[in-house]
Amino acid sequence: MDPNISTALELLAIGMLTVFTILTFVVLIGNGIIIFVNKAFPEDKRAKKILHKVLHLENAKEKFSNKKLAAIVSAVDIFTGGKGKVVEIKKIKK
Amino acid sequence: MTIFDNLFKMTGFGAITPCTVVMWFIGFILLYLGIKKKYEPLLLVPIAFGLLLVNFPGVLPSGESMGVVTATDENGIMHKTLIEIAKEHGILNFLYYSLIKTGFLPPIIFMGVGAMTDFGPMLRNLRLAFFGAAAQIGIFTMIFAALFSGLFDMNEASALGIIGGADGPTAIYTTIILADHLLGPIAIAAYSYMALVPVVIPMVVKLLMSKKELKINMREMDKKYPKKREIKNIHTVKILFPIILALIIAILVPSALPLVGMLLFGNLLKEIGESTSRLSTTASGPLMNIATIFLGLCVGATMTAEAFFDLKTIGIIVGGFFAFAISIAGGIISVKVYNLFAEKKINPLIGATGLSAVPMASRVANEIAFPE
Repeated sequence: MDPNISTALELLAIGMLTVFTILTFVVLIGNGIIIFVNKAFPEDKRAKKILHKVLHLENAKEKFSNKKLAAIVSAVDIFTGGKGKVVEIKKIKK
Repeated sequence: MTIFDNLFKMTGFGAITPCTVVMWFIGFILLYLGIKKKYEPLLLVPIAFGLLLVNFPGVLPSGESMGVVTATDENGIMHKTLIEIAKEHGILNFLYYSLIKTGFLPPIIFMGVGAMTDFGPMLRNLRLAFFGAAAQIGIFTMIFAALFSGLFDMNEASALGIIGGADGPTAIYTTIILADHLLGPIAIAAYSYMALVPVVIPMVVKLLMSKKELKINMREMDKKYPKKREIKNIHTVKILFPIILALIIAILVPSALPLVGMLLFGNLLKEIGESTSRLSTTASGPLMNIATIFLGLCVGATMTAEAFFDLKTIGIIVGGFFAFAISIAGGIISVKVYNLFAEKKINPLIGATGLSAVPMASRVANEIAFPE
């Protein structure tokens, strides 16, 4: 067999094996982290903070669903680095 | 007459050849694709302009163009200082040998990509990661094809195959190590096909998927077969994930760490939130933009007429397309095989998103699944 082809076969075997091994580790590590975090830190403070802000948006609650409010508050939170505060939400008429 | 003769020599007219004109034409096509068609404009525009710059003849005092000079024993460029390179071969060679040849820019770009990546959806569906592995099959298929063609040696074939991974910085990084003389065509092929994802994915999907498979609704599947474990605190999971994964990769495949390590570092900066937001903004914004400008210009600078008019370049353009298409097909077929044995079916379109061409591959797959 051409030595280049045998090297390519070797590369194929090692390459695909490495990819699957690494991805198996990714899955195992991911699951491990999720189990650990669910046990050790079950409370998401950031989510709680967002929820708190949503609950205080009295005037917008009737017009928007909680999911939409959470998305808006989260976006403002990320954009302002946690410093922004949503006071009122209005629909803009085009 | 002597005055006119001297004037003529001062200009670049004497050095224009038919090949130069063809290279300008290629440059204009790439500019058109980037500006008008908006195909990866952030990369195609710098690459195309870099290509034009190095194909304007007689720019340097020596009469040479600004094109990247391939390092050989005769020119001894690898033993020159950066100042000497700048002086003798121009600014683009200085940028190439300081930023690209050292492997500096691809990891910087990966850091920016990491700072823009959300691992959340993957963490919620971890087993989907396996289909990404099957999407790497195009790389190996193309290595074989390139070797059988007899045009490429082992290193060149491997560099060509990487186009199938559909990841620009990885293609560049690998090519610098394995076959740096092919950097221009490989980078252009990789980025062009990434830009053509909206054309290539539907083509492969049409060939391999039935209408019934396209209609598999994964939300309904999730309702029918609920997940065993929910994530209670995704924020903490997202912070721990890049740290632990970097450690594991450092131990298992240390050679991948310059790229993957930087990707995970960028991601960590993003996930920490407020306290590192300035760093993640810099990594994903200004730093990424600076790196992209220099990377694009330097890749374009390798596209001299001498480097381009070669049978290998044509092989790379054709082979790159097949590497890309086979990778997409590999992902789709792997999901189809999984569906044969699993009760909870997965839409095979997920396999097409195993390409690294983020977020375009996912967006295109989503558009195929939900046309309106």
